[in-house]
Amino acid sequence: MSAQYDLTSKMIPFLDIHLVFPLLEFLEINELYYSPASLLNARYELSLKTNMIDFIEKLNGDLKDAGEAPAAVELKREEILEKLQASQAEAQKVMDVIENPDVIAALRQDKLQNLQFLKDNYGMTPEMIQTLYKFGQFQYSCGNYGGAADMLYHYRVLSTDDTLGLSALWGKLASEILVGNWEVAFEAIQELKENIDKTHFASPLHQLEQRTWFLHWSLFVFFNHPKGRDAVIDLFFQPAYINTIQTSCPWILRYLTAAVITNKRRKNLLKDLVKVIEHESYQYKDPVTEFVEALYVNFDFELAKKKLAECEEVLENDFFLVSIQEEFIQNARCFISETYCRIHQKIDIAELSQTLNMSKEEGEKWIVNLIRDTRVDAKIDYQENTVLMNTNNTSVYQQIIERTKGLSFRSQVLATSIDKRESAQAKVKAAMAQHQDKSHSNESA
Amino acid sequence: MSRFFRAGESDSDDSDDYSEEISDSEIDSDDSDESSDDDEPRNATKPSLLSRLEKDYSDSDSDDDTVRVVRSAKDKRFEEIEQAVTLMANKQKINDWVSAQNEFDRANKALQKAASIIAQTGVPKFYIKAVAELEKEIQKALAKEKTATKKLNPSNAKALNSMKQNIKKNNRQYESQIQEYEKDPENYDKEVEVVEKKKITKVKKPVVSDSEDESEAAEDEDDGFTPVGAGGKTVEFNQENLFKKLREVAEARGKKNTNREEQVRILERLLIVANTPFQKIRVLLSLISAQFDFAVGLSGYMSIPLWKSAEKYLNSLLVILEANSGYVVRENAPEEDDNDKDRTPQNGEPVLIQGSVVAFIDRLDDEFTKSLQNIDPHTTDYVDRLKDEVGLYTVIVRSHAYFTRLEMTDAISRTTMRRLEHLYFKPDVVILAVEQTLATTLPALIATPALDSANLIHDLCVYIYKNGASLLRTRAMLCHIYHHALHNRFFVARDMLLMSHLQETIHQADVTTQILHNRAMVQLGLCAFRSGMIKEAQGCLQDISGTGRVKELLAQGLQLQRNNAVSPEQEKLDRQRQLPFHMHINLELLECVYLTCSMLLEIPTMAAANLKPENRKKVISKPFRRMLDYNSRQVFAGPPENTRDHIMGAAKALSNGEWQQSVELINTIKIWELMPNSDRIKEMLGQKIQEEGLRTYLFSNASFYSSVGLEQLSKMFNLPKNTVVSIVSKMIWSEELSASIDQVSNVVVLHHVQPSQVQALALAFAEKATGFVESNEKLLEQKTPQQADRPKKGPNTKDQVSGKQQQRTMGGQPRSGRGGRNQFNNGLGNSVKGNRK
Repeated sequence: MSAQYDLTSKMIPFLDIHLVFPLLEFLEINELYYSPASLLNARYELSLKTNMIDFIEKLNGDLKDAGEAPAAVELKREEILEKLQASQAEAQKVMDVIENPDVIAALRQDKLQNLQFLKDNYGMTPEMIQTLYKFGQFQYSCGNYGGAADMLYHYRVLSTDDTLGLSALWGKLASEILVGNWEVAFEAIQELKENIDKTHFASPLHQLEQRTWFLHWSLFVFFNHPKGRDAVIDLFFQPAYINTIQTSCPWILRYLTAAVITNKRRKNLLKDLVKVIEHESYQYKDPVTEFVEALYVNFDFELAKKKLAECEEVLENDFFLVSIQEEFIQNARCFISETYCRIHQKIDIAELSQTLNMSKEEGEKWIVNLIRDTRVDAKIDYQENTVLMNTNNTSVYQQIIERTKGLSFRSQVLATSIDKRESAQAKVKAAMAQHQDKSHSNESA
Repeated sequence: MSRFFRAGESDSDDSDDYSEEISDSEIDSDDSDESSDDDEPRNATKPSLLSRLEKDYSDSDSDDDTVRVVRSAKDKRFEEIEQAVTLMANKQKINDWVSAQNEFDRANKALQKAASIIAQTGVPKFYIKAVAELEKEIQKALAKEKTATKKLNPSNAKALNSMKQNIKKNNRQYESQIQEYEKDPENYDKEVEVVEKKKITKVKKPVVSDSEDESEAAEDEDDGFTPVGAGGKTVEFNQENLFKKLREVAEARGKKNTNREEQVRILERLLIVANTPFQKIRVLLSLISAQFDFAVGLSGYMSIPLWKSAEKYLNSLLVILEANSGYVVRENAPEEDDNDKDRTPQNGEPVLIQGSVVAFIDRLDDEFTKSLQNIDPHTTDYVDRLKDEVGLYTVIVRSHAYFTRLEMTDAISRTTMRRLEHLYFKPDVVILAVEQTLATTLPALIATPALDSANLIHDLCVYIYKNGASLLRTRAMLCHIYHHALHNRFFVARDMLLMSHLQETIHQADVTTQILHNRAMVQLGLCAFRSGMIKEAQGCLQDISGTGRVKELLAQGLQLQRNNAVSPEQEKLDRQRQLPFHMHINLELLECVYLTCSMLLEIPTMAAANLKPENRKKVISKPFRRMLDYNSRQVFAGPPENTRDHIMGAAKALSNGEWQQSVELINTIKIWELMPNSDRIKEMLGQKIQEEGLRTYLFSNASFYSSVGLEQLSKMFNLPKNTVVSIVSKMIWSEELSASIDQVSNVVVLHHVQPSQVQALALAFAEKATGFVESNEKLLEQKTPQQADRPKKGPNTKDQVSGKQQQRTMGGQPRSGRGGRNQFNNGLGNSVKGNRK
């Protein structure tokens, strides 16, 4: 298996350091693409940029040939602990105030008012609130994500600073993701999206960058939250985000495609998806998108079959998609057979099963289920071992009913609008007459 | 005895005096008029003599061939002042104060003009003397006026009064000099003579040495001969008077009766004389602009030799500027003070010289384009002229390097744009060749030739995107798109076009940018065609080729206007916008591509429309349909002669299912040879025709079959079975064809719904009813104002009525126009038209 379909390296530039660890770990555990040693090394290098001392030490231990770094690490540990304590003490002051039930009761919707209130009654300055942010950030960099999320939440409640607020939101999202608190992360995603959309960025480029980051981060949530797959489709198909995908990160298309395929209720979006995939096929291709292209652009079932087999592998090795691999394959088969049935009248079961990567018996069962579930109008000819599709042409009656359905309503609308017009004209005339009367009377007077 | 006598004869009392002067002035002829200047104050009371002397000098110049007189700028100015002063003195004697006042003003004006000279030499003594006398006279006159019985006439009196005030003010400036004069009125100007004399001798030496230099340079001059300037005055050029001459030229510039040719000649001489960088730069600056000045001739463009010399001088200017980094030519340099010293950079401070190199570059390039527009492109002249482009390009690159060194952002982006516009439409080979010549003509430090055209264009464009003004950015973007399209990078070009959102705003741009946009679109279409993307190609070309105004939209020749509504000025403007021939996109090829694309898309749609009547209204390409209609209406169809005939023939064959004939006809079109890789394109077209032929065949013959074997189809259209299945599947999936594939027996089963008579009638009835309702709706829509507006109008019924009427009159118009599909195209066309008025 070559690494050509691995997106990790493409995605890393758009992720936070802390978010990269799970990805690398995933690769390491599954022994994919790269040698475990190099991955371990990469993780170690990365961890040096953070403040997670325990983690660094652990990695250092794992890394057999990594000479003697501990001295520096030890030094760092002390430094960090010191700093941690200092900032914790500072933040604690603020927290004490905030956690006071009286204060909580007194807080209102209006942030400015709240600030004023805190300042007047407890001597809290904006700088003090700032410490919450700093402490949160520091905790995050130390790997204490839960605490960081907490701090940042408090900060966001109190702060009025927009730019810092936005980064606090980012931090909160990352923390929740890393803790695995998907419910909250899901909310954070929505909030962040609103923030990005409504904030006026200095340049469109900046906004594009923010959106790109957002797309990448949201994958963590969307593929773990139960409602995520609906949300991912809704979000990614928004014009702003589909444009972002097209301009800066076409590889996200894989996730979008997977989401669409695994989501039966969103079949109607398939057409849009096909259009986007076709449009971008010159700059991004992987088995997942190629599968859709083969099936819906070229109607090449052979190729679709081949790609489906490849998809299985790709999905298995994808951090985000591994959980929906089964579902994806199931649904993809459904799509194939549905398309197949629509086009064909008489299908050889053996051939179809082959197309679906199944044995003959399995295939037959599959088709029977399909006929039952999707109410395809078809029968199996047991003797010939074929499926016979009954084409249902819309009858002429149906057609006529269809065509004339709207007529009465439209005529009604027409009639009412004529009525309206009449009355309006009558009013105008009356008004004119009145006006004339007036002027006459004026003249006579 | 002497020629001076002829003039001075009548004034017997002064002539003696004068001849004495002459005797010594003849010793050194050069100062003769200088010394006579100094005589003048004494002769102030004899203006007639002076004026005659004046004349005499000029006469003598023309008929005398032994002695020449150099009249420096100083002499000329002073003469003017002097003349005015003497006249003034005369007038005041006869109490004509009006004239005296005029003369006084003239003298002052002349004095101002000579300010630079005065700064060196000081105020001329004779002037001081005159004004001092004048003041006295005025006082006398005023005193007299009070007592006199016979008053002056009112205008005279008024003039006298204003003179009194003026002279007071005026004389305050020269207080010290006047005092000096008062002290010793007799000897006041004597000493001057001495000083002047000394000066003259000083000046003389370099003159001699320089004239030797000059005789070397200008071979037809014998010793003792000096070049003759305008108006028969002798002109001699040397280091000292270089700046004076330069200023004279500058002053004469733009005046009505200035002989421009003469000016250029003078400047060229000056250039030979100039030897410091400062002088050279100054002379070159004026020389180049002088050359551009007399560019406007009958032909409307600069003559080629002149252009070449301008290019040469511009080049040498750049060389000097490169070699002497201490001199900087800038548009916003401070005005130079008048003392014409040779300036050299001091303690690292560069010398700023006023001028604009970028303007020269712009002008040179524009003149080049103009000449190309005017030369008949089918002559060798055109080719010869085109060869000069390399030189021009070199100059542009050179100046670009210069501006980059000085970090003049605006100029850099302008020259970058010029560079880009010389390159973007050229194929790689040409660009590389041009860049290679840079290596030979320019020092390596200035420009290293690019090895990859795409990179070069990219770098140039990116610079402009970052630094240029918005118009330049737009143009650069379009050039970039054009370049990508030219090199078959369709997707890149398309994405750039889409991401820049140019199409939304382009109709607000100026006409030349719109033309560039049209060119880029056309090139994009051609690119799509080359890569086999027929639909995209058609989409891109539709806007331009579909209009029938291709020539006008691409600025490649004037379109004949049917209803001769073009004014001469308009035509002239149009002519100016025309692109030079070598930039043209081949229109015949363009038409051929457009029609071929239309054929491939239109024929199957037409066949499908027969199957499904509701599709009948869908028209992809109007011009194509019109041509096809016209072609099929012909009683006798001869063998195809031109490209159009070929395509029409191919279209007909295609709709009849004879794809081989269609391919043959398309392949015999000669113009494909102009495309790179024409064989591959023909192959691609062949395959497309096969596919579309299959589709057309299925559409038009579906009703005659109940099933068609896939094998047979694949044989008929010579396509692999897989492709046939894929095409048929696609048609079934998109519900274009009601059929299904029988996998077991390998046939396409076509479903027919043969409606019974009643059913058919019922269908027709339903359709009619729908049409009826539709037309009713339309009718109502036309008769009523837009409903959305109604509630806003409020209770004021009068307003409502007038509003209604307005809308009614407007209502009829927009609906009759073309459909919304061509919105963009219409907008473009309109804006081009809009700019014409």
